[in-house]
Amino acid sequence: MATDTQLNRDIGRTLLAGVERIHETLDSYGLVPTVTNGIALLFVVWTLFPVYWMVSGSLRTRSDLLATPPKLVSTALTVGNYPELFVQRPAFYEFLFNSAVVTVGSTALAVLLGTAATYGFVNYEFPYNLGRFHLPFLVLTTRFLPPIVTVIPLYVIFDTAGLLNTRLGLMLAYAAFNIPFVVWMLKGFFAELPDSIVEAAVLDGHTELGAFFKIVLPMVRPGLIAATIFTVINAWNELLFAVILTSNTNAQTLPVALATFKTAYAIQWELLTVAGTIAMAPVLLFAFLVREKLLRGFTMGAVR
Amino acid sequence: MSLQSNTAVGGHYESALLWVEDHLRWILTLPALAVLAAFFVYPVGRALVLSLYQFDTAGRHFVGLGNYVAILTAGAFWQSLWITAKFMFFAVSFEVGLGIAIAFVLNSKVRFRGLVQTIGLVPLVISPTVVALLWQLLYQNGGVLDSLVAPLTNGPVPWLSDPSIALYALVLPDVWQMTPLVTLIVLAGLQSVPDHVQEAAMMDGAGRMRRLIDVTLPYIKELIVLVLILRIVGTMRVFAKVFVLTRGGPAKSTEVISMAMYREAFSYGNYGRASTMALLLLLIALAITYAFATVSEVEF
Repeated sequence: MATDTQLNRDIGRTLLAGVERIHETLDSYGLVPTVTNGIALLFVVWTLFPVYWMVSGSLRTRSDLLATPPKLVSTALTVGNYPELFVQRPAFYEFLFNSAVVTVGSTALAVLLGTAATYGFVNYEFPYNLGRFHLPFLVLTTRFLPPIVTVIPLYVIFDTAGLLNTRLGLMLAYAAFNIPFVVWMLKGFFAELPDSIVEAAVLDGHTELGAFFKIVLPMVRPGLIAATIFTVINAWNELLFAVILTSNTNAQTLPVALATFKTAYAIQWELLTVAGTIAMAPVLLFAFLVREKLLRGFTMGAVR
Repeated sequence: MSLQSNTAVGGHYESALLWVEDHLRWILTLPALAVLAAFFVYPVGRALVLSLYQFDTAGRHFVGLGNYVAILTAGAFWQSLWITAKFMFFAVSFEVGLGIAIAFVLNSKVRFRGLVQTIGLVPLVISPTVVALLWQLLYQNGGVLDSLVAPLTNGPVPWLSDPSIALYALVLPDVWQMTPLVTLIVLAGLQSVPDHVQEAAMMDGAGRMRRLIDVTLPYIKELIVLVLILRIVGTMRVFAKVFVLTRGGPAKSTEVISMAMYREAFSYGNYGRASTMALLLLLIALAITYAFATVSEVEF
């Protein structure tokens, strides 16, 4: 163990020394800003190009999109692919509707139950705590489970319970998978509240329950918003559960439609790019609107 | 339940409220625990039972530990674990390596840093299913990637149809999607190093290198462990990209563990064998979680 740490440290130092040497060389020519800005620009292009390519593809004709060599910019743009998708695949209305219902429902459930549970875990001692592996830890362990582990028996369970091909079933499954996530995100927020807050509120004449709603919840609002954002994105994007637990338009969501879009003959790229764009657009717009919260959310728990 | 009016003035409402207050810890936690029990504990229990049966056209019949023996002695399970491990190794190495490097670059004086950070969010919020499609379009025969590597190759590259390339063609979209996560987390760590600490070290005559090791590194060490955990767990469950891009092919060269289990259950209808694989994977996942919980200082 000790030698491992030593070894890691040595590797780390060697790497850093290398980086340092490059930095000094560049610095002596005054090139540091050029190189860092160049790398940042490269990162931006690398990140945005695939998205640009799909969105632009949705506005092109098939032959224009699949031309060899590729035309990076098209001169003949058309919006005709959008109505065409819904003409050729009217089920897309249903996929959209299913995705929306399942996302909203599962988010509401996960945030509600997750918030209550986190507050409970943080504020009370539980008789079932066993050393390090107390219950909250086990709840969070489920966060690390590969979902395929539970979804296969879940298929058999849903089959007997009549939950296959229902939005309700999918909603419950997503809620279950997002609760540990909500707990993980909120834990820090609740733990940071001083104990005396609830006590003070009770002395002021609030009940404990009243204190929770009127005083505690408003104080953890940023955490609630972040947890909601992430749950919405998780549910909107999920494929594995949806593809296994649904097999017809009663409950199939957008990701299922996208993953099974190919026909036996070829991919209708001019339509698939439209479908892909429609699936991306809400989350991208949403992410843009809440970008500050999202940035903090991704790094939350990581940085105190 | 205990709604008998046992308070002098309150009546039913007051005593119900009292009951709620007395049992608040359970009222708060039990609903979530019940859902988790129904969707995690019960399925695992059900898998234990299912794993003892063989499913075929004649229905199901009890085989005891037969599924376990069959899976552990045949090569297919180990093969798909090996493919998953390779995917994990390459994806995590590139994501963490590149992610940290880009974080350091962005932490120096870079123009429009806020904008670049926001752009880093883009891949993270897109569905892995759509990410797979983005790349499938780029991998088109004679498409963007082919023309990018054209100077180095003779004609189009069979990105997804050559068994020796396909797995790497799956790693690339994952690297594209998840590298920004590492960058954003590490960058946040770098920015949390207080300026005065850096300045104090500089006053003490510590060179740039010293400062990096003694001042900066302690701030991001835990974060690097955290992103490693997140990405190891994340790549272990890869499914959507494989499902969309290759379905495990060609010649099973990209049949990662979740794809193998999907096929066992839903192509062959053998829920018993698939459940057995699920339980074995569960053991592996628990071992990894336990190892990280023991070794790292990251709080779960």
